[in-house]
Amino acid sequence: MAEKVKLFVNGQEVEVESGKNLIDAIGAVGIEIPHLCYHPALGADGNCRMCLVGIEDGRPPLVPACKTMAVEGMKVQLDTEKIKKIQRDIMELELINHPIDCPICDQAGECKLQDYYMQYDGQKSRMTVPPVAKAKHMDFGAGVVHDQERCVLCARCVRFTRLITKTGELGIVNRTDAARVTTFPGRPLANRYALNVVDLCPVGAMTSKDFRFKQRAWFLTKSESVCHGCSKGCNIYIDHNKEKYQDDIIYRFRPRLNQQVNGYFMCDAGRMTYKLENDNRLNSAQVAGKETNINDAIETLRRAFSQAKKTVLIVSPNCSLEQMLAVKRLAATYNAVLSGYSDGYIKKGDGDDFLIQDDKSANRAGLALLDIESSKSGFEAALAGADLLVSFQNDLCRSLTDAELTKIQETTKLVYLSSYKDRFSEIASITLPVAAYSEDTGTIINTDNILQRYGAAVIKNVPAFNLIRVVNLLGGEFKSHEEALTDLSATIAALNNIDLKHIPSEGIALTDKEVSNVAA
Amino acid sequence: MQVKVLSARFDIPDAHKIEVAKENGAYSTLEKVFSMQPVEVIELVKQSGLRGRGGAGFPTGLKWSFLPKNNTKPVYLAVNSDESEPATFKDRYILVRDPHMMIEGIIICCYAIGSHDAYIYIRGEYTTQVKALQAAIDEAYAAGYLGASVDGKEYRLDVTVHRGAGAYVCGEETALLESIEGRKGQPRSKPPFPAVEGLYGCPTIINNVQSIASLPFILTNGPDAYKAYGTEKSPGTHLFGISGLVKKPGMYELPLGLPILEVIEKVAGGLLEGRKLKGIIPGGSSTPVQTPEEAQDLTLDYESMAAHKTMFGSGGIVVLDDTVDIVKLVENLIHFYHHESCGQCTPCREGLGWMLKIIKKIVRGDGTTADIDLLRELCDNIEMKTVCVLSAACTMPVRSYLNKFRHEFEAYVKSDTSCQTAM
Repeated sequence: MAEKVKLFVNGQEVEVESGKNLIDAIGAVGIEIPHLCYHPALGADGNCRMCLVGIEDGRPPLVPACKTMAVEGMKVQLDTEKIKKIQRDIMELELINHPIDCPICDQAGECKLQDYYMQYDGQKSRMTVPPVAKAKHMDFGAGVVHDQERCVLCARCVRFTRLITKTGELGIVNRTDAARVTTFPGRPLANRYALNVVDLCPVGAMTSKDFRFKQRAWFLTKSESVCHGCSKGCNIYIDHNKEKYQDDIIYRFRPRLNQQVNGYFMCDAGRMTYKLENDNRLNSAQVAGKETNINDAIETLRRAFSQAKKTVLIVSPNCSLEQMLAVKRLAATYNAVLSGYSDGYIKKGDGDDFLIQDDKSANRAGLALLDIESSKSGFEAALAGADLLVSFQNDLCRSLTDAELTKIQETTKLVYLSSYKDRFSEIASITLPVAAYSEDTGTIINTDNILQRYGAAVIKNVPAFNLIRVVNLLGGEFKSHEEALTDLSATIAALNNIDLKHIPSEGIALTDKEVSNVAA
Repeated sequence: MQVKVLSARFDIPDAHKIEVAKENGAYSTLEKVFSMQPVEVIELVKQSGLRGRGGAGFPTGLKWSFLPKNNTKPVYLAVNSDESEPATFKDRYILVRDPHMMIEGIIICCYAIGSHDAYIYIRGEYTTQVKALQAAIDEAYAAGYLGASVDGKEYRLDVTVHRGAGAYVCGEETALLESIEGRKGQPRSKPPFPAVEGLYGCPTIINNVQSIASLPFILTNGPDAYKAYGTEKSPGTHLFGISGLVKKPGMYELPLGLPILEVIEKVAGGLLEGRKLKGIIPGGSSTPVQTPEEAQDLTLDYESMAAHKTMFGSGGIVVLDDTVDIVKLVENLIHFYHHESCGQCTPCREGLGWMLKIIKKIVRGDGTTADIDLLRELCDNIEMKTVCVLSAACTMPVRSYLNKFRHEFEAYVKSDTSCQTAM
């Protein structure tokens, strides 16, 4: 734990962490110091001047809180008339050249200018001269659209491309009130994290081409979840909304702070995986190319299980620990062979040294923890003589060539339980829709051995059965997700000492021993 | 009234050439300087009471002593030759007429602060000056005063001239450092101060050309000889640039402490025939104006200027007579500072633009009394809320004009009302 210091805010003693600036230190105990340019991941720039605070007996008496460290005994003034006037004045100056087009601005509802105007300004405009005209809806590339007139020149986006992605596409050109954020001619934003500038922008200057004009921020339900785009497991908000007479639709993913996993950011590709949750979903069961009632399809599959000479179950590295365990038990019930073969989910060389991983699955570490054999040779050996192959969300087309698949099809009946329509769902003779992770709850382990929990965010008008329920209907022993969790705690030695029902939001870092399933 | 301390060699033909400069005493103090300990040099400069000639008037020797003790990083000297404050034209004379005086000063300063690399940041518009300066530096290298062994001593010193691109703000010391480092000239937040973390993150002393050029005289003749000029708290001499509506505008070297009205009368030849004094800008465009009444007991030194709620500044005196339109002067002033705002901090970036639009509205005849009040209020709202003092360099004088010449602004507002009625 960091050392604590005691200081005074508006005469009241507060205990804060040392080694932090005033915005973070005092902010952590619930006292807001307004700021636009400072961001914990990008450091203090000190250009917005919104965080100026008084220091009683201080030299100088007026300091930017973002550049001032909390020290013992410091007397910080936030509520004096002088400071309130400064905040009002800075807000007035921020707004004189701002278009105040909130009714058509995507940021409205989550805009710092709006919030601070209500909190610290609230005055009528005294602007009787024409504002500065700048460029609007500039396509910055990578799905980022910029409005120079809304921009407050806080330079968060510029610093992001310089400090975080180190690609430096953005800069501020010109001086004085002609200053503006722009790209170099012919050099648009071209990095895999560019859309983070939309989140970083405290105002509506940076908008996402994908999200623009789709939803008002205040209608969105913001549910916590974990991205399944790769094995990093970036923490996200699923922003979704069920409009009247419509289905519950996801409109965007946004990164959610987790210093242990992804910090403040996520990659653009992961951000766009929200579309998979909305579109191209497997919505109905099919048996031999005919749409079938889900219960009938399950019954058909049960029969297939009992008739099969040899059954192979294959589970996806995207499944949660609970789902994997349920499938593992089902395999035991039917005396089937279980595989986690999913090499196709790994895109070698695609990862980087920041967040993006080669492995495009969320829980490969879970396969190892549950001791599920995942090699290609193991899978091929299992297939020998098998006449039924049931895939639990594992898109085998990713891992096998068409020729290999065709060969398997000759002797083996293919069954696919999936949330999404993909190539494998086209060729399987029985397909069963199951809930996607945004509609389900589960526990996964990321590439850095962080155990994380995600909860159900979206409730569809016609909810798909979740995988554990389907497995249960097929003869699996867990009636619910909770039962699977309880069993995990009890039977997986590595998880004996972990309260799986209360995983903190930042996750639990497992030791190497725990991940390799050695009892503590 | 005029004296010849810094300008001693200005009138000698070809004094910018090293042979002529040397014949007339250039580089003669180096032997003495190198025989002293660096701390002794700093002490001597402290004793002389020399104050920074860039505008702020901070004691030079004291500034040097802010360098961190037990420092292991290189120490840099940056000589500020940006001279961009309107009405200031003193350093350019040193650069062209006696560049060797400054180079000798650089050697003295670098020895005192333990620096082996000096940068001269010169404004881009000084094309003649940069040629003269570079020629002199080349001569000094050839003559062995710069380079691997300064004056035969075991002391390396390299001097690099860096040309600015014309931004006023690059005269601000940390913007100057940013510009040398190749970035956009924008002031840095302080602390850390440059003496601790300056150029390339190393301890850096930034001194004005004239401050540096004052060193050879102080080292040659001792602090007492320097203190013989000027007042107790403002010792020495200064190159004053007197401009505006006087008979003999120009650059004059004067001891500090002289009455400003007497200087205007006797040195600059007084006002043009038939004109009446309206005001005096005492030290460059950013210093608050003085009315004739206020100027009665104003003397050219830091104390008197402070007592008159104005500043000594850069010694650029501008004389305004009764033909000057204060409102248009203010428009010009705001135009300049708005144009030169680096655009970093909100108050300066947005505020100066607003002020410019308001004053233009007033000049155009569309203004109201509320506009004058707003302009006056904005001065308070913007000033000292920013990283550097550029915005204050605009709001301080503008406030003084609004306070002292409000009737002129009101006349614009009123005449407009009559115009509108006539239409």
